[in-house]
Amino acid sequence: MTDTSHRLYAVVIAVVIFLVSWAAIAAQPWASAKTDPAQTALAQREQRLRADAKLVQRVVDRRLAAYHLALRARQAQIASVKAQAAAAQSRAAQISASAAAVSSSQSSPSVRVVNLPPLTITRTS
Amino acid sequence: MLKRTFTAMGTEVELLLDAGPGARPEQALDRAEAEFERLEQVLSRFRDDSELSALNREGRLETASPDLVRVVELALAGRESTGGRFDPTVHDAVVAAGYDRSFEQLGPEGESGAAAGACVDSTQTACGGGFRIDGSAIELEAGTHLDLGGIGKGYAVDRVADLLSQYGPCLVNAGGDLAVRGGSWPVGVTDELTLELTRGGMATSGRDRRRWRRDGEERHHLIDPATGRPAAGAPLRVTVVAESAAAAEVAAKAAFLGADVALPHVFVTADGETILAGGLA
Repeated sequence: MTDTSHRLYAVVIAVVIFLVSWAAIAAQPWASAKTDPAQTALAQREQRLRADAKLVQRVVDRRLAAYHLALRARQAQIASVKAQAAAAQSRAAQISASAAAVSSSQSSPSVRVVNLPPLTITRTS
Repeated sequence: MLKRTFTAMGTEVELLLDAGPGARPEQALDRAEAEFERLEQVLSRFRDDSELSALNREGRLETASPDLVRVVELALAGRESTGGRFDPTVHDAVVAAGYDRSFEQLGPEGESGAAAGACVDSTQTACGGGFRIDGSAIELEAGTHLDLGGIGKGYAVDRVADLLSQYGPCLVNAGGDLAVRGGSWPVGVTDELTLELTRGGMATSGRDRRRWRRDGEERHHLIDPATGRPAAGAPLRVTVVAESAAAAEVAAKAAFLGADVALPHVFVTADGETILAGGLA
């Protein structure tokens, strides 16, 4: 009886040890330490893309700044040309007015023929 | 009546100021004389260091003086209003005709280093060249040179008359180009004809003075821009009355070259006949 009990205990213990070992092996504790190459590749790709994005952003910023600079210069150029055109227009108006004054000075001759001794003379200048 | 005479702009200048003797009127006459000198330094083509000479040399002045800008404006306006009969771009033609130095320095035979010919020959620039004013900048078309002799004296006379008029009625006469401010001034036009001028200006253009002989040919300083040569077959002289001496100068040259002028004017023909026109009687 005693031998039978001992044998039984021994079998139960062996079964328990077997099951525990099985569970431990099935859990694959060593698997977590290994890195997945696909994930690694994905991570690397992500890093590369982020770096590329930063580079592209810098290029875009630089080009935008250059564009704004050129735009301001162009706007100043346009304003200057407009001012010159306005000045030229004003000058043309003045010249037309002068021309009109020269030709319309015919209106009021404050001159008459007199019979007096002259104070001075006019001659070919 | 105060009177002062002096030489400026290649001619005799006469200032008459209707004011009693005193320090202020004398100072005014001093200022008037200085003003003539200042304007000659701006407008003379005979002074190498004048502003006009610089313009003719460089072809462009970025910051011309207000006086030069104004005279060039008036010249441009005069060219437009006379349809080109008055033209300040006759410079090269005048020089080619032998008038390449002030008249006192010009010998009776007009000996000069300038090539004989006119501004329309193949070696010269045609008259009527372009010039433009942009603010205080003046630019000449390539090959164009300005001679402001046909308007500069009138402008100076007007300026000095304005200056003197602050001291009393006055008359300023620069070799026949004259302006009056206030008062009434009898001015002899011919031996038999006197005109009384109460305001404005008067000028005479003709071929009876400022003439010389060159290569056996008689020449004078009034260039016809259409031919680039001293005008031929024109009257002996024309006197015009206008609102200013500068306007009278322009109109006198145009009338001399055959333009219709509605201003009061006097023609003296080659045979000495005097014809009153433009409302004069």
